[in-house]
Amino acid sequence: MQEFDFASPKTLDAACQLLAQTGGRVVAGGTDVIPRLQRHMFPATTLVDISRLDALRFITTEDNEIRIGALTTYAEMLESPLLQEEAPVLLEAARTVGCPQTRYRGTLGGNIANASPAGDTLPPLLVLNAEVKLVSAAGERVLPLSEVLLGPGQTAIRPDEVLHSVAFQRLEGPYGSAFFKLGKRKGMNIAVVSVAVLMRLVADGTIAGARVAFGSVAPTAVRSKHAEAVLNGERPTAEVFERAARAALADISPISDVRSTAAYRRHASMTLLRRALETAAARAGGIL
Amino acid sequence: MNRITITLTVNGHRRTVTTEPNKTLLYLLRDDLGLHGAKDACGGEGECGACTVLMDGQPVNSCLVLAGQADGHDIVTIEGLAENGHLHPLQRSFVEAGAVQCGFCTPGAILAAKALLDRSPSPTDEEIREALSGNLCRCTGYVKMIKAIHLAAEELSHAG
Amino acid sequence: MLAEMLTVGKSEMRKDAWSKVTGEAQYVDDLPAEGTLYARVLRSPHHHARIVRIDVADAAQVPGVVAVLTARDVPGEKTFGPLIADQPVLAIDVVRHLGEPVALVVAESKLAAQRGLDAIHVEYEPLPAVFDPVEALAEGAPQIHPGGNLVTEYDVRSGDLDAGFAEADVVLEETFFVPRISPGYMEPEASMACWNDDGTLTVWVSSQKPFEDRHAIASVLNLPVEQVQVRSAVIGGAFGGKEDSSLSILAAFAAYATHSTVRLTNTRHESFLAHPKRHPAQLRVKIGAKRDGTLVALDATVHLDTGAFASYGPAVGGLLTEVVPGAYRIPNVRVHTLVAYTNSPYSGAMRGFGSPQAHFATESLLDMLAGELGIDPLELRRKNILAPGDKVFTGVTVADTANALPVILDHVQAARERLSSIPATEGRRSGVGFALNVQTMGLGYRVPDDSTNRLEIAPDGSLLVYVGAPDLGQGLATVAEQMVAEALGLPYEAVRAVPIDTHISPNGGVTCASRMTYVVGNSVILAAQRLVDTLLDYAAGVLRVPREQVAYAAGHVKLADGQSIPLSEFASRAAEDGMMLSAEATFSFPYPEETTPKYLPVGMPHVMYVFGAQVARVEVDPELGTVELTDLVAIHDVGKVINRAAVEGQVEGAAAQGIGYALYEDVKLKDNGRWVDGFAEYLLPTSEDMPRVESIIVEVPEPSGPHGAKGVGEVALVPTAPAIANAVYDAVNVRVTRIPIQPEMIVGDRLAVG
Repeated sequence: MQEFDFASPKTLDAACQLLAQTGGRVVAGGTDVIPRLQRHMFPATTLVDISRLDALRFITTEDNEIRIGALTTYAEMLESPLLQEEAPVLLEAARTVGCPQTRYRGTLGGNIANASPAGDTLPPLLVLNAEVKLVSAAGERVLPLSEVLLGPGQTAIRPDEVLHSVAFQRLEGPYGSAFFKLGKRKGMNIAVVSVAVLMRLVADGTIAGARVAFGSVAPTAVRSKHAEAVLNGERPTAEVFERAARAALADISPISDVRSTAAYRRHASMTLLRRALETAAARAGGIL
Repeated sequence: MNRITITLTVNGHRRTVTTEPNKTLLYLLRDDLGLHGAKDACGGEGECGACTVLMDGQPVNSCLVLAGQADGHDIVTIEGLAENGHLHPLQRSFVEAGAVQCGFCTPGAILAAKALLDRSPSPTDEEIREALSGNLCRCTGYVKMIKAIHLAAEELSHAG
Repeated sequence: MLAEMLTVGKSEMRKDAWSKVTGEAQYVDDLPAEGTLYARVLRSPHHHARIVRIDVADAAQVPGVVAVLTARDVPGEKTFGPLIADQPVLAIDVVRHLGEPVALVVAESKLAAQRGLDAIHVEYEPLPAVFDPVEALAEGAPQIHPGGNLVTEYDVRSGDLDAGFAEADVVLEETFFVPRISPGYMEPEASMACWNDDGTLTVWVSSQKPFEDRHAIASVLNLPVEQVQVRSAVIGGAFGGKEDSSLSILAAFAAYATHSTVRLTNTRHESFLAHPKRHPAQLRVKIGAKRDGTLVALDATVHLDTGAFASYGPAVGGLLTEVVPGAYRIPNVRVHTLVAYTNSPYSGAMRGFGSPQAHFATESLLDMLAGELGIDPLELRRKNILAPGDKVFTGVTVADTANALPVILDHVQAARERLSSIPATEGRRSGVGFALNVQTMGLGYRVPDDSTNRLEIAPDGSLLVYVGAPDLGQGLATVAEQMVAEALGLPYEAVRAVPIDTHISPNGGVTCASRMTYVVGNSVILAAQRLVDTLLDYAAGVLRVPREQVAYAAGHVKLADGQSIPLSEFASRAAEDGMMLSAEATFSFPYPEETTPKYLPVGMPHVMYVFGAQVARVEVDPELGTVELTDLVAIHDVGKVINRAAVEGQVEGAAAQGIGYALYEDVKLKDNGRWVDGFAEYLLPTSEDMPRVESIIVEVPEPSGPHGAKGVGEVALVPTAPAIANAVYDAVNVRVTRIPIQPEMIVGDRLAVG
């Protein structure tokens, strides 16, 4: 493993100070950072371990906002009655991350900071319109998730900042959501394509507040404005979903890699989106 | 690279170790504490589960915990599973059901199974497969491992 | 009259399992040793390059580094290899694959070793590289070795091919592609070598061939063989990939050069790059049949990519050549196999040894043929399966073992009906397919194939079995113990296999080729008979009675007057006299002089077969093209079950490997010029990927086998991939000619969109 100095601050302030002073980088659950250290591909010589900062481990709700601390693990999210009730689309994704062992260590903050195009929680967080709070010695700032994710492995998080928490508004129902992920095997699955969908059905039975996001088909997880534009105001029919799926192609730019080809990812994106829309609509209508 | 000193509880005993920080809990256990049951089968990438230990009761890949991060935590390895020389029902059932071939994945799989049974005493086949999904085995095809876990679950439920 | 067996046939619990479930079992990397040094290998970052200069001066200065070794420092033979000595211990002037060992650092700590590695400077001049066997054999291809890129060529024929095809009513031809597979054993390669004060070396290995490792080490270090002791630790899986001495040679070299104990363990990444794999291949097969389904001709051209070094490539090519025609009677056959060097990571022995590649092609093609003829694929098999007395194209006459074939096909029929009646999940298309296979046993004619094993009575009366071939985890030690117990009428608990130590164990042969139960079993049964003679001779002498008045039964010497004296009495008395009561026997794999064809290359033919079949049910998502395997029924003839749980374990484990072969696994070159080299990208089946598996064990006894046993180690891996491919065709009418099956293959023309 590559060499580094290690610090394990006990407070968030201390962590921010250390980041500023040492030019080091954060490690939390370690599920992404440590494999990179093994491959001698980690761009820092000091690691600031934030795993002791219990203040970042929480799931709360206040007013109409749900806030999840950055150190919350996938296992903790899955066990949260609040999230089961209020953010099932996020949990559908959390359930598919890695394996039980990695779900007990991997964190929501880590999934964001790692900024993999295939990060499983990212499409759900995008459709939840999540905002990210970043904290440093200089203060704090809040950014929409879409502005945090800049490219594969690249974020707007400054070197001296710690990702504090993620927040999103409670959804006013009735709404339906779905998360589908296509991988190459069932267990320990990295997404070939993933999609998250959220929608409401209003009194006249048409779609409102449609939100669509994809993973693994662009440099970052992305919203599909084109698909959303097709959906809003329309009835939830197969024909509408087909049009939305075609429209979505304008928002994605998949590549060919070791797991799949660009052409297949385009095809699978449309198929998964259609299916996710059917499921979300059925859930919105109280059918599922 | 500055060495670090950590204190952790391993199989019920407090241990203090001074070591290089660029080491995972897996190698802390193997090289510093002489506990070889946890294995490195995937190059320390968290892809195989052969290094699984229980950390504060939860199954984790010890190759994905830095030594420094293990400070203050409670670790159970395969060596700590038997009590007073009596094997855990899972250890016995793995042998009885023929679930052990080369054995390299076995300690990790037993601990992952134990974590499952601690939470879910009567798991379904599907729950067992999910609990084992992070433990690769190249010898058995998992069939007898699943059988062994059912057997142990039955025995544990009778024991009350 | 069939008396119930004492232990043979029962699912006895493996004795080695107890230490494995407690974490006490010692694999090489767990062996205790005081003051060991650690070695690391510097590996080539290029696929093909000239080494201009290696500068180790800085590395040697790193605190804690004890030695930095290159090819120049190798005292004896600088290259090695099981068939062709083309593999350098450390690269000489040129590197031929990414990951090839170039230098060896030995240091006082893992940290120092890493720092030493980082301080070695090598200047390379990259050369053009080739990664495809057909391209490698074409004009102008980069030459990998001085003799050219063709390693071996086989061209075996029978009958009259042109006449055969002329007779055919239907002729089909197809080209199939199969990938490079990592054996993926969970224990990465490891070795620990100790320089002893008396100038001998003790080398601990995780290896299928400790005796051959010993010779290889001695040759490289220019030591007499007697000065090298090889000991077998507990082995964490092998599957053919540990029939390779490269790591133990390096560890021994490091210990020799530093006069210390040195540990060398590969990371998983190194294992992917630099240890043997299954040969990828391209198989062009043409088959001709009459309207009624009778097979009349088969013509195959096969290219195998053996990578940078030959390893067992020539032997894999030979076995592959023999089994391309499958379990069928085909009068006119030609198989032309070319084994080529490329700059890929090298391939060698791996479970199936050419048979999985061959059967993927042939069993797929037969289903295609059945479709073309409008015949049920099962009927097509029935019409053409071998029967006892038939001659296969190598000239070998098939023995009674072929009686298993109709039985196997009956099971296939029943399983196919059962699986076909399962309704498809909504939105999916279900399909059922099967494949039949033949696997050979033994190393092949004129390859020395002897197994020597020894029995000893310990002073307490228990039985020690010095099994001379290693248990890889599959249970060889256990079945050997059972057969010894059975032969001597002793309880299974009283018999114990002893781990291999070349100083004290006899040479039981290499653990491979589906023959260990057979050769070891026959050997220990013979040894047991000799042991009884030795015991009775000794007993008669000690008791001062005529030899005819003593007899042996169930652990006791029985006297004419009715007395019954336990073994332990004689064994402890012998120990006091400074003797061991022991007996040894060598069993040679039989090749009947009169009937074995002699005109084929060395290693051909194989003369003993095992048969099997698997039936697979898949569900295909027609829109996404994803394939899920829901059921697998594995039908295998093992002759005689020695340990049922162990046989099932082999079938279940092999099926899992077959599933990986069909659907997930591929050590391929990525767009960035690097190989797939970790489990994140090389996907082994997880517990969630396994279907319902049913094992049906058929027992058609092999007369020459111990209790009628044959072999099972490889046969259950072979039919899985073609069975799945045939099931996919049944589901969605798409014929895949390449594995691993990708969704793109299924949705193909629907991709032209957007």
